[in-house]
Amino acid sequence: MAVIEVKNVNVTYRVLMKKSGSLKELFRDSIKGKARVVDYVALKDISFTVDESEVVAILGRNGAGKSTLLKVLAGVLPPTKGVRKVTGSIAPMIELGAGFHQEMTGAENVLFYSALMGRNLKSVKARTPAIGEWAGVSDHMGFPLRTFSSGMVARLAFSTATDEQAEVLLVDEVLSVGDADFQTKSKARMEELIKSGAAVVLVSHDMTAVRTLADRAIWLENGHVKMIGKASDVVDAYEAN
Amino acid sequence: MKYLPLIRLLVNRELTLRYKRSVIGIGWTLLNPVLTSAVLWYVFSFVFASRLPNGQQFGPYLMAGILLNTFFGQGLMQSADSIASNGGVLTKIYVPPQVFAISSALAGLTNFFIGLLPLAVVCYISGQPLAWTLPLVLVIGVLLAFLVAGLGLTLSILFIRFDDSRNIVSILLLILMYLTPIFYPVSIMNSTMQNIIHWNPITSYLDIFRWAFSNNATPTLFSWVYIFTWSILALLLGTYIFKKYWPRTVAML
Repeated sequence: MAVIEVKNVNVTYRVLMKKSGSLKELFRDSIKGKARVVDYVALKDISFTVDESEVVAILGRNGAGKSTLLKVLAGVLPPTKGVRKVTGSIAPMIELGAGFHQEMTGAENVLFYSALMGRNLKSVKARTPAIGEWAGVSDHMGFPLRTFSSGMVARLAFSTATDEQAEVLLVDEVLSVGDADFQTKSKARMEELIKSGAAVVLVSHDMTAVRTLADRAIWLENGHVKMIGKASDVVDAYEAN
Repeated sequence: MKYLPLIRLLVNRELTLRYKRSVIGIGWTLLNPVLTSAVLWYVFSFVFASRLPNGQQFGPYLMAGILLNTFFGQGLMQSADSIASNGGVLTKIYVPPQVFAISSALAGLTNFFIGLLPLAVVCYISGQPLAWTLPLVLVIGVLLAFLVAGLGLTLSILFIRFDDSRNIVSILLLILMYLTPIFYPVSIMNSTMQNIIHWNPITSYLDIFRWAFSNNATPTLFSWVYIFTWSILALLLGTYIFKKYWPRTVAML
């Protein structure tokens, strides 16, 4: 059954030429007749589906539209045209720790981050010590985040984000977090989550990871699908390019 | 409402974070209006206190004005800013962006309600008894929160799209503040100015608030109709405008 369905999705950014970032400039430019609107097409006619317990990787150079596509899937960016349908809960692992606040304690941040992801806070509260322990920051959970090292922040974010199983997992380059020890640990947990039946969309430049983890792959170029198919085939073609 | 717990956390965060590193913490919320009022009272009481109608005290008059104006002005700027400043979250995790603007308005409302305590003390000291209409203050607070949230949602679109709109709005708010009888009685103005002040919606909110709290003003039926109209229209229009322009605005975050 298709958990993610994307049909003829187009995303167009409307950009003011000369980037009138202020009302003053816009006013001046429109008087001079210089304010021109240009449509920048970020995604062109994208269609695909992802089934339950299927892992799909998205490949492509910087600026090919990978992040835009993930934003559309996450429901953050509404497509200009086309349909995006996702059934079930989404765990967006796009930028870990989005919404973390320096002045709040570790425990408060775990709660807040979970609330942003729409989780049940009662169970999160009960789980908080375990989340801190898994991240290896148990002793720090009562202190403000600004006293954490950046590695500790990343570990806590990863631990929180992966604490609950979601039906849809959107992963953007978060396979490697922290030091070597934690990386093995996080990789193992990530693989566990991926293999546990969720529909996964994965953006990565790590072609070995894509080969081993993904069933299918989509190659994006300049906002359109250049190739879609079995992961190993697409990676071969992408690497030959 | 799946996002109610998040709203609670956001309101809490906004209330506690501002004074997190200070010794008395949230005590500042109590102290802030008192100190501001004390300064303005010292400066203006010589000029304006005697001009108030009989039976109205300048202390509560001034402090009520400051409380309500802080709620409106600060609440509006924070609400309008909230969506842009949480852009990092909004472009990664799906959360209805309105949640942030509503939370800011609610934080302003909570601050306003906390400020009623020192206001009651000032009323007591100056011999201006609290009125039996006191519970109506809840209604006024909620109506003003509607106005703040509605205008905040509209402005948040503008703030994201145009960098200088923030400055323009804060200047407009300053002008609006002077067109609100916060520290002066309306009677000292000439008739043209009185007319302008009369049509300033904040004047109506303030009149009703002063009257409801300690019978320190005389609002008319017009004031009631006016604030209901403004609050409800602002909320409806604000949510509509936001919904309409958000899909094109989110790309600019």
